[in-house]
Amino acid sequence: MNHAMTTQQLTALLPLILATLTTVVVMLTIAFKRQHRLVAAMTVIGLNLALLSLGPVLLAANGEPIELTPLLIVDGYAIFYMGLLLVTALGVLTLCHAYFEGYAGNREELYLLLAMATLGALVMACSRHFASFFIGLELLSIPLYAMVAYPVRDSRALEGGMKYLVLSGAASAFMLFGIALLYAETGALGFAEIAAKLSAGRPGILLAGAAMILSGVAFKLSAVPFHLWTSDVYEAAPAPVSAFLATVSKAAMFVVVYRLFVNIGLFRHPLALDALTWVAVASMVVGNLLALRQDNVKRILAYSSIAQFGYLLVALVASGGRATEAAGIFLLTYIVTALGVFGVMTLVSSPMKDRDVEHIEQLRGLFWKRPYLSSIMTTMLLSLAGIPLTAGFVGKFYLISVGVDTRQWLLMGAVVAGSAIGLYYYLRVMIMMFQPIPVRERVSEPLNWVQQSGGAMLMAAMALVLVLGVYPEPFLQLIRSATLALR
Amino acid sequence: MNLLFLTFLAPLLGFLILAFARGRISENAAAVVGVGSVGISALTTAIVGWDFLHHMPEGGAYTQHLWQWMSVGQFTPSFALRLDALSLTMLGVITGVGFFIHLFASWYMRGDEGYGRFFSYMNLFVASMLFLVLGDNLLFLYFGWEGVGLASYLLIGFWYQDPANGAAARKAFVITRVGDTFMAIGLFILYREFGTLNIQELATLAPAAWPVVNGVGATGATVVALLLLGGAVGKSAQLPLQTWLPDAMAGPTPVSALIHAATMVTAGVYLIARTHALFELSPFALQCVGAIGAITLLMAGFIALMQTDIKKILAYSTMSQIGYMFLAEGVGAYQPAVFHLMTHAFFKALLFLSSGSVILAMHHEQDIFKMGGLRKHIPFVFACMLIGTLALTAFPFTSGFYSKDEILHQAYLTGHHELWLAGLFGAFLTSVYSFRLIFITFFGPERWRSQPATHGHDEHHGLGPKDDPHGAHTLDHHIPLGVLLLLAIVGGFIHLPLGSVLPEAHIPEGDHGPAWIAYLPVLVSLLGILVSWFLFLKKPGIPAALKNGALTKYIGQFWKSAFGFDWLYDRLFVRPFVWAANINKNDIVDWFIGLIPASLTGANGLLALTQNGKLRWYALVAGAGACALLAAVALH
Repeated sequence: MNHAMTTQQLTALLPLILATLTTVVVMLTIAFKRQHRLVAAMTVIGLNLALLSLGPVLLAANGEPIELTPLLIVDGYAIFYMGLLLVTALGVLTLCHAYFEGYAGNREELYLLLAMATLGALVMACSRHFASFFIGLELLSIPLYAMVAYPVRDSRALEGGMKYLVLSGAASAFMLFGIALLYAETGALGFAEIAAKLSAGRPGILLAGAAMILSGVAFKLSAVPFHLWTSDVYEAAPAPVSAFLATVSKAAMFVVVYRLFVNIGLFRHPLALDALTWVAVASMVVGNLLALRQDNVKRILAYSSIAQFGYLLVALVASGGRATEAAGIFLLTYIVTALGVFGVMTLVSSPMKDRDVEHIEQLRGLFWKRPYLSSIMTTMLLSLAGIPLTAGFVGKFYLISVGVDTRQWLLMGAVVAGSAIGLYYYLRVMIMMFQPIPVRERVSEPLNWVQQSGGAMLMAAMALVLVLGVYPEPFLQLIRSATLALR
Repeated sequence: MNLLFLTFLAPLLGFLILAFARGRISENAAAVVGVGSVGISALTTAIVGWDFLHHMPEGGAYTQHLWQWMSVGQFTPSFALRLDALSLTMLGVITGVGFFIHLFASWYMRGDEGYGRFFSYMNLFVASMLFLVLGDNLLFLYFGWEGVGLASYLLIGFWYQDPANGAAARKAFVITRVGDTFMAIGLFILYREFGTLNIQELATLAPAAWPVVNGVGATGATVVALLLLGGAVGKSAQLPLQTWLPDAMAGPTPVSALIHAATMVTAGVYLIARTHALFELSPFALQCVGAIGAITLLMAGFIALMQTDIKKILAYSTMSQIGYMFLAEGVGAYQPAVFHLMTHAFFKALLFLSSGSVILAMHHEQDIFKMGGLRKHIPFVFACMLIGTLALTAFPFTSGFYSKDEILHQAYLTGHHELWLAGLFGAFLTSVYSFRLIFITFFGPERWRSQPATHGHDEHHGLGPKDDPHGAHTLDHHIPLGVLLLLAIVGGFIHLPLGSVLPEAHIPEGDHGPAWIAYLPVLVSLLGILVSWFLFLKKPGIPAALKNGALTKYIGQFWKSAFGFDWLYDRLFVRPFVWAANINKNDIVDWFIGLIPASLTGANGLLALTQNGKLRWYALVAGAGACALLAAVALH
């Protein structure tokens, strides 16, 4: 094998190189000058450059996958998701800037951590080897421990960070064990190589390995019964970090696992699919039920994300064919919506003065004080509930159509039941925002200038949710052409 | 023709702007947005229509694919607009007449606190109505259908402070909903049978599946046609779902002109014309259409004769004229039906707007017996009213003459002599009741001078001082009336190539019927005018004596209350329903349904126990999960 890099391969590496450079430059900047705006701007520029570099990558790839060492592959699928992850990370970044402006301690390192975690997510999006998969995963997870516990003087955040560290570590151990079992039987770590050598291994050991890997994956996707950490960590973390956990972290994991499922037949063993089906059903039912009478909005959103990823598992069970499209459109709609919801929760919290706004009572009558934010929140909640003409409907509709095509009636029943329950708590939050409050309290609160970029991001997210709901076809075509490789 | 989408986009944007700017923009700005959006729409229609008529597309129809919502497997809902001669006619009426009514309304509604709200609803109505006529698919037609229903509800109850208006709005909404339910079921059956709701595809699929054998239609075709007829009857206020229309006059007068005379109530006529391919498959359903039209036109004509409220007279007259359109469709004369729809929109809008002008001149007095001799005081309005009435009575060379004459002619030639007779008698009634309105309102003694003050102070009575915002009759008052006046006269010369969409009536070749049937309607309506003059101007004692006669008094009351339909429906439907609801006060069914939330909250309580915040427990559960997966592998 020729290991010399061609120009094409170097171009394909550009996003990763630029993201790496961003972390280095941000680190050096902090060393020389501590200034919140400057550091934030450096990170934004770096990640935007990485995003822009996807253009040359597309040109270089010219529709064909580019293989980079045995570890990475840059195909349409990887390029699409790298773009999605970068845009999402940038969205979270605007929220971080608005949120941490009021933080008394050192604010700058957060951007370093965020850039590193994003790099990890990018690596996961294009990995085709368990080694790169695991490195990407850890690169994503370890900065997250620090991000969750970033307000170090807040004991709750520290506790949340600790919980996430211990449990995530355990999950990584499960996964490593599973990978080791696969390696023991096949002697390979690349997805394609393992797939080729499956017949040589003993099925029992291989299945046990798959089960352990699934356990680790289920933890990261917060699927039942590996979900218990979710609400505690989301509640404890600063609101924009929760947004990152709910979007980039989960999406990156799903992207690589989907590739795993399509590439290695072992994961489509009937037993594995049955297990996954039950995990999905449990996630939808338990996630929605837990949110039902919850009064803490951040916890509601955590439970909601458990349920939403339960829906997404339908695509994983169906793996291949139209399921790839369905997963893409669902992830896209979910990410935009989740970014919007967490964004509103970030902007209504007075940054870092005391605890975040999170009790549902604190949202009472929000519409009379902050009409724009409540309108955005309303749209997002409708989208999460899957009401037609919002993005959420299109994503869910696609998933259901895939589920019906592959005759997964149990999953479909759970989707329907879960959606019905979900409507209750989404509407509950929505109704709270429109409750009447005394007229003298009905003054529009001024929008702080640091929050303006966050506000603009939210407006864009809302516009996207509506456009996706009314005219999703161009996005569908984009995803269709991007995911051809994995059909 | 690419601009077609602008026609409904402009009012839709107008609605959004006004709805979000509610109350924050001035009257003038609201008028500019509200009237301007419909103006853009009308202008676009003119351009598109010109283009269409001069470069007739192949097949007589132009389809604009706006977008495909999504394509998931076989499910590809797409949204397309279809422009053909039929939808162009409707488009012209809705935007053209609609624009002038909006302009008039900008004068009429001055000083109303809900000025912006009014125009937002009006724009919503226009957008929905355009959606209804432009959709190439019954599903989109249905969306528009419900949209106009909503706008109609909002506008009837526009002055919501008066509970009676709210009740009228609810009545209109509920009764038309009865028809809509029938229509929805019809659509379900169509989709189930043919897997599509595209009107053109249905028109080719249905005749193959449901052929007419020996003049008898297939059961499926009859059922579907009757269900669609149910929807049409509800929307167009025909027997037996007609009772909502007179009450709908509670809305502002421009609303009555636009929605309850010119456009929405004719949606039923449009629906039948649009789906004529389905109705042609069921001779029985077509007979029903004709019979309903004939009975309604006679009944409404009689009732109009007894009304004293100027707007209710016009409402019953609308009902009666739509009866003519149904009658025409019943005999297969779709083209005259749509033609009459158009001319009717012209002269009835003119009549309603003039009546609005009269009502404002009389300071919100609507009883014609408290008016009189007005021709000298508001001569322009009188001229409008007179021309409108002449067109309504199909006086020669007015627009109504051409359309109504054609309907009666074709009814006779297709051999439906009983329907023809009904139509002829209806023409007589029309002349009597409409000239009764003219004679009592504009001739005779000036009764309003002697009326005791009802509003508290005298100067607010009759043609009082001009200190209100409507005092100055300006261009926004004169232009709409003037243009509609012109259209009511010459509208009969507008001929659109409807033949490319709608079939001709089945008339034997070369049969023109006896010569006298062309003259008879004219004679009949002149006779009607004469009778009206005699009864209400020359010898007003005769109707007054009848009114106070021992027996005739009760008949008259029954007659005036629209033959007791409201009373009957109250006994037949409302009271049994209330009775049944009272029996089931404790709601047994709800108790069972209540079990669902109870069990869900129970499950929530149990699951919440697992969220105890303890790290060791969380780790334990995750480990147990992994063990369960491994156990599944081991047991496999």
